[in-house]
Amino acid sequence: MNLSFLSPLFLIGLAAIALPIIAHLISRKSGVKKSFPAVNFLISSQGELATRSKIKDIILLILRALILVFIVLVFAKPAVFSFSTAQDNTPKSQAIVVDNSFSMGYGNNFSRALSKTQDLIDSLPDGSSAFITSLVPDNKQEPPLIQDKTLLKKALKEIEISNTFTENEKRLQDIYTKLQKAPSERKGVTLITDLQKNGWKNEGFQRSWLEVIDISQKQEASNHAVSQTQLKYENNSIIIEAEVSNFSSDPVQKLLMRTSLGDQEIREFLDIGPEDGSVKKFNFSTEKTEMPSHGSVETSHDKLKVDDIRHFIINGQDQFRILIVDGDSREDSRLSETYYLARALETISELSDTNISIIDNDSFLDEDLSGYGLIFLANIGEITPRIAKDLEEFTNSGGYTVIFLGNRVRAGYYNTLLENILPGELQNIEEQKLSLLPEDSGIFSKDINEKVGQVKIQKLFNIEPNAESATLISASNNKPFLVKKEYGKGSVFIFTSTADSSWNNFSITPVFLPVIKKIHDFPYYTKSQRNYLVDETVNIDISQDTESAIVIDPSGHQFKLKVEAPEFGKTRLPGIYIVEEDGENAYEFVVNIDPRESDLKKTSIPSIESSSEQTQGLVKVFKDIWRYFLWGVVALFVSEATFRAIFS
Amino acid sequence: MSNGILDIETALRLKGFHFRTPSKVRGYKAGIHKSYYHGISPDFLDHKEYNKGDELKQIDWRLYGRHDRLYVKKFEDEVNMRWCILIDKSASMGYGENKSTKLNYAKKLSATLAYLLLKQGDSVGLLGFSEHDIEFIPPKAGSPFITPIVDKLESFKPSGTTGIKEPVLKALEAYRSEASFVIVSDFLIKPEKIEESLKLIRNSMKEVSLFHILHPDEIDFDFRGSVEFEDMETNAKVIVDTDSIRHTYKKRMGKFIERLKMICHENETRYVFSPINKSIENSLIEIADK
Repeated sequence: MNLSFLSPLFLIGLAAIALPIIAHLISRKSGVKKSFPAVNFLISSQGELATRSKIKDIILLILRALILVFIVLVFAKPAVFSFSTAQDNTPKSQAIVVDNSFSMGYGNNFSRALSKTQDLIDSLPDGSSAFITSLVPDNKQEPPLIQDKTLLKKALKEIEISNTFTENEKRLQDIYTKLQKAPSERKGVTLITDLQKNGWKNEGFQRSWLEVIDISQKQEASNHAVSQTQLKYENNSIIIEAEVSNFSSDPVQKLLMRTSLGDQEIREFLDIGPEDGSVKKFNFSTEKTEMPSHGSVETSHDKLKVDDIRHFIINGQDQFRILIVDGDSREDSRLSETYYLARALETISELSDTNISIIDNDSFLDEDLSGYGLIFLANIGEITPRIAKDLEEFTNSGGYTVIFLGNRVRAGYYNTLLENILPGELQNIEEQKLSLLPEDSGIFSKDINEKVGQVKIQKLFNIEPNAESATLISASNNKPFLVKKEYGKGSVFIFTSTADSSWNNFSITPVFLPVIKKIHDFPYYTKSQRNYLVDETVNIDISQDTESAIVIDPSGHQFKLKVEAPEFGKTRLPGIYIVEEDGENAYEFVVNIDPRESDLKKTSIPSIESSSEQTQGLVKVFKDIWRYFLWGVVALFVSEATFRAIFS
Repeated sequence: MSNGILDIETALRLKGFHFRTPSKVRGYKAGIHKSYYHGISPDFLDHKEYNKGDELKQIDWRLYGRHDRLYVKKFEDEVNMRWCILIDKSASMGYGENKSTKLNYAKKLSATLAYLLLKQGDSVGLLGFSEHDIEFIPPKAGSPFITPIVDKLESFKPSGTTGIKEPVLKALEAYRSEASFVIVSDFLIKPEKIEESLKLIRNSMKEVSLFHILHPDEIDFDFRGSVEFEDMETNAKVIVDTDSIRHTYKKRMGKFIERLKMICHENETRYVFSPINKSIENSLIEIADK
């Protein structure tokens, strides 16, 4: 809202405010002069009354001055106005999009956006139709175009801030597409946003139908966030490593961190440089107390509070376990099939709490696979029907199986026993000098894809991927090198060459470790850690015989799950979620903010300052408010008279 | 002799009244006041046994007949009294319109009192005072002495500040023997100073009466609106909203008068409240005997 005057010349009358002030000063300096004998009595009497009299005088002065100001304002006809985006008052179809992404929670950005939207609704020309929607969709059906401004404001009230972001360009394009159905010729989308860059792929995004209003007042948003937590289990303690990132150009000093685990709490101070991160370790003893199921790391709050806390759950006995089956084990481990694989996984386990077991082919045949999250089979020659079935069940229930081939592998044997889980049919071994080519799978990072060409292959199995499979890396003869197949809740990866360096140099190139890490992370983050990001869909693990299951979110709301397809998508709130099966607590999972969202840097998308009057093509829509001042004058007169009567 | 300040009519109305001191005095002429000395007054006082040197004519022969012992009669001796009228002529006494000032009222009261005192045979002196200006006429008896007193009174103009101690000391120095002091003033000074002066007088075994002269404006404070007041003696200025201050002022003035009365009572002093709208007759009658 902005203020203007329809008859501003009358404001000259404000000079009249000097009258009561002058009168006040004159009454203080002169008056009727008189000689009097008992002035001492007057002085002592006045001393008693002086304070009361002064206050009375000042109040009367203020009241009288206000009366004059209000009278002048009545004549000057003040009016509040807002800008309408209309070129004229012809009706139009307008979509008003309120940015409800995570960053709008900074300071009072969101309330300013709502207020600005109210103004825009008020300024819509008569006969216009509009709808109000949020930038981050809330899974509700998009509202229809309506003309009733009251209903539009009601729709505005239903918009809530989200803890994530979306693909902004796509979302805005979808909204504009919806507007195309509107009958009006003039159509436009107004986005009210803080212009934080998350969600914008193209920072130069600009459309003729799009008007962007920046409500952030060009402020530089400084923010810090708890960006990551890592848990390590030792004999009698849990070490929680918490990383705090500083996204501002100023250093953060003596930031209070509080890590709590059950009734234990540790506080530390942390210094972080500008645009930097810092890690702090918190060591909790597990000797005496019963282990709690979850905890949190929190810092003292800045203007964006939601990312100042990060929750974690304690796996306890469910430590992530990896099984490596070495089909060609040797006494000298360096000659073993899995030497490089084991080293890579040991390195990865330093970052994540992981237990690694290495067994040979014989032991594997008797191994119980149910406790593992990830199994590597490296050049396994012997597979029994029982272990093949176990492997199938393991994968179906969410386990990940990674198969490296080799000279011990018999293709027909594999194709028969592992038919259901194998990503393709194994064929002949091909001997040829090949290199690797990246595939646009979206799984591996750009860095991996660039370096994958360093891998040289001498020998590999040809495989015919089946329909459900996806080739992630190919050899230069366009034959698959790495193929993935999802099976049940788990997945199977197959490398068509060896895990050691006998058929290729893959295991000794810089690509090996990140590829294994990526594969390791799938089960590690999606199953063992039960660690999700806001708005992520969670596949709930429920036991086979469960009749009913619910998820309780951090605010206590209960959501009933479909047992036959137990997916849960209402992870809008960060915190601890509880899964209950048949009324009993089954397990917990944790939802946190995507740490990328905490970086509040702005885009360069052209925008209109919400407070600016230089809004090209906008028209002012006025609303008279002088009547309120008229009532004010009456009220002030009554007050002044009452005050005088009381204190005279 | 001018009739300007001497109110003859009032004086005539008070002719039947005598102005006496409540205690005995040591006068030197026959008068109406009881004397420490037993003498020729017709009022019988007591008997005492005859001693050598007593007047034989004072022997009460009737008692001798009854008791067979010689007693002499003792009579009270009535002597005249010496009065000192101290009149305040400070600037504050000049308050009032035209001739209705406090000083004029004080002059009339003093002149009339002096006339009556001289008429009853007492001697009267006059002391006009402000803090640093004292004019004194020594006491004399006899009606003709009213003329210089009235002339002196008429010459008084209001000026200077009020100060009572110096004039009292001056009067005490002049009146070493018995005397009665009459102080006519608005007493607009600290009560402690008034009390101090009264004690000085009372410790000198002298009688004292106060006429407290005030203008009705000083009592009722009947002003309106915002007024800048300037003190007539100190020139101190103060702007007041008379409507809001009236109640507090009157309360303070009332307390001051009560305090003055209390001081007088404690020092066996007659206090006469004499606002200038009170007749001279009514003021004087308060210290007169029938």
